[in-house]
Amino acid sequence: MDFALSEEQEMFRGYLRKYLDDAGQTKLAREYSKGKTNELKATLQGLSELGATGINIPEVYGGLELGTLDLVPVFEEMGRALLPGCYLETMGFAVPLIKKYGTKAQKEKYLPEIAAGTRSITLGVIEPKRDFSPYGIQCFAGKEGDDLVLTGTKTLVPDGDLADTYLLLVRTDEGDGQTGLSFVFVDHQDGAQLQLQKCIDESKHLVELSFDEIKIPNERLLGEEGQGWTILEDGLLYLNAALSSMMVGGMEKVVDMATEYAKIREQFGQPIGRFQAIKHRIVDMKLELETARSLSYYANWALESEEQEREATIYSARSFATNAFIEVASHNIQIHGGIGFSEEIDCHLFLKRARYYESYLGSVNYYNEQIASGLGW
Amino acid sequence: MDFTITKNEEAFRLELRSWLEENLPPGWLDGNKELPKEKEAYSQFLRDWQRKLYEGGWAAIAWPKEYGGRDATLMEEIIYHQEMVRIDAPPLINYIGIHMVGPTLIQSGTEEQKEKHIQKILTGEEVWCQGYSEPNAGSDLAAIQTNAVKEGDKWIINGQKVWTSFGQFADKCFLLARTSYDREKKHRGITAFLLDMHQPGVETKPIIQMDGKQEFNEVYLTDAIASDADIVGEVDKGWRVMIALMLHERTGIGAELFTLEKRFNDLVEMAKEHEVNGQPLLKDSFIRQKMAGLYARVRGSLLNYYRNLTITLKQGHPGAESSIDKLVVSELTKEMAAFAMSIQGHQGVLWKEDALIDTRWQENFLASFGQTIGGGTSEVQRNTIGERLLGLPKDLGR
Repeated sequence: MDFALSEEQEMFRGYLRKYLDDAGQTKLAREYSKGKTNELKATLQGLSELGATGINIPEVYGGLELGTLDLVPVFEEMGRALLPGCYLETMGFAVPLIKKYGTKAQKEKYLPEIAAGTRSITLGVIEPKRDFSPYGIQCFAGKEGDDLVLTGTKTLVPDGDLADTYLLLVRTDEGDGQTGLSFVFVDHQDGAQLQLQKCIDESKHLVELSFDEIKIPNERLLGEEGQGWTILEDGLLYLNAALSSMMVGGMEKVVDMATEYAKIREQFGQPIGRFQAIKHRIVDMKLELETARSLSYYANWALESEEQEREATIYSARSFATNAFIEVASHNIQIHGGIGFSEEIDCHLFLKRARYYESYLGSVNYYNEQIASGLGW
Repeated sequence: MDFTITKNEEAFRLELRSWLEENLPPGWLDGNKELPKEKEAYSQFLRDWQRKLYEGGWAAIAWPKEYGGRDATLMEEIIYHQEMVRIDAPPLINYIGIHMVGPTLIQSGTEEQKEKHIQKILTGEEVWCQGYSEPNAGSDLAAIQTNAVKEGDKWIINGQKVWTSFGQFADKCFLLARTSYDREKKHRGITAFLLDMHQPGVETKPIIQMDGKQEFNEVYLTDAIASDADIVGEVDKGWRVMIALMLHERTGIGAELFTLEKRFNDLVEMAKEHEVNGQPLLKDSFIRQKMAGLYARVRGSLLNYYRNLTITLKQGHPGAESSIDKLVVSELTKEMAAFAMSIQGHQGVLWKEDALIDTRWQENFLASFGQTIGGGTSEVQRNTIGERLLGLPKDLGR
């Protein structure tokens, strides 16, 4: 029995923590909110030099060829700092899918640049006024000789202003539901219209991408044509294991904040952490954090194992962490009292990030149902 | 991360499993798990079961070999609990003797005490209880008032204990009594005695619980007698002995977690099989949602336990994180038991022979309220976690 990150993984976490502390932690997210990206880009490049962008990429493509568990410290530390960017979508979705479904040419084009930190990939699935389901995908890519002609709109594309490539789920064939859906790569230069959307979490830059008969070569299809939804479901296993780690990182910071504040803030002549109303609430937050962490470690482990209840395990981590993050972030504001309601203190940033993730590529109800069906209920 | 079980561990599991198949009470594996109702017969049945465990070498696996144990590793203890929960083995009537008093005597008892008790604890001849709580000393255990006064070479003990599990069967009691009073620190001046329950000064009265069972007792001590030889450790230093004693019960929470997991699996089966208007409960979308949430939390609490176990295995003693396990398992057990009632609708109020599905669900619900109180209330657990793990300031008055 050994259920812990390895010493090397914990050591790597230490480097990342120090690096992001030195870079100002949430300061980067605050500046990104105001549209300033220089320091952020430098920090992301620095992380790449530490190896963060090569972890799950094969050595032949310039990566470190490590396992999914080695990504966990990075996701947690980025979650802790609320670091902007589409690392999650790149490393936790695009990379595993490119490795699995990509052609040799696609691997050669994308993987080395991702490993070097010079290319990031974000994800476009949702469309305006449509839901997260196969029926919601109406963006159309029609065939024209060796090309695909893309028309439609993707909304809520995370950090689309930083991304170099968009991985889009589109309809390549008329039809309903899952049939006729495919994944395509669209690069920034291909000519999509970008419209920044105002998000409650201002450190998340969402964009609406519009395509008006944009031509892309056929080779941009990822995996088999018509298999888009199946590929998405496969990718969601990776993405949600990664996302649960990111949320755990955020939760850990929130519990630290509440604990530290309760030790120093005095009322009625004593630290408020002495009052059980405060102390017990923080303990409950800690329980949520530790349970989320256990589930997320296991989820990331299960990705590379023969675990029978793989889907249920991974979606448990997602579903639990999603609710737990919102809960602890909310309690943190209450524990801080008036100052917690202010813009100045970081409490609200974590609440907003937690809300942002609530229904990201599937609601809690959706994932609970995935757990149920995954268990054959 | 590595969840694989070693060959030795797997062999241990199979050895225990096949022993159980041969030695469980007749009909047990076929589902006849009814225990005798009447007190004497119940006690005899469980003493016989313990005797059998002893004869097979399975009564106290964590004890050193020289004392009749197996020197079991932590993982073997975990496997032992998993197997016992899996087949729903009869309860261990001398749980307190095997998991707490015995190891304490082995570690810090006198030769005479070992000679007198160890073998009998193993065989079940001596069933033990603990005399801790009192009417005015619950969570505030150091406030005990039961006192022991030295007269000649005897100690005369007066007072009242309450919530004494196994008190109705017990032959011996690990008793905390006040032998002096320290104005500053009230946990000083407490002494640990090994008290004989079969004497005129000891009277046991059962407490009828909210679920109708009688698992706890009041124990009245009126000039009860113990001798110097019955003191564990030193006079006035029993608090430390009690803390050490509790640390010996290193895998009890594991057993509770495996029970929770099993109960969750039973709940899934129940929701699959029980139909309302021709449709299984588990097809109801609200029930599916809630059950998926419970699945995540049951899974999470087990994984927490494995994570804490890893820390214990690495550093040789449990970390402060393990204080989380008891709080999580008891609260979750309670919530799940309540949910199992709710999904039966109004008919969930029926119990005993009129129970809609199986009266165990109603019994579990009622019994679950004891779990967040016994062995340290959830509030005390939260204080412990808050102070020891998070470093929050200590509560006033302690």
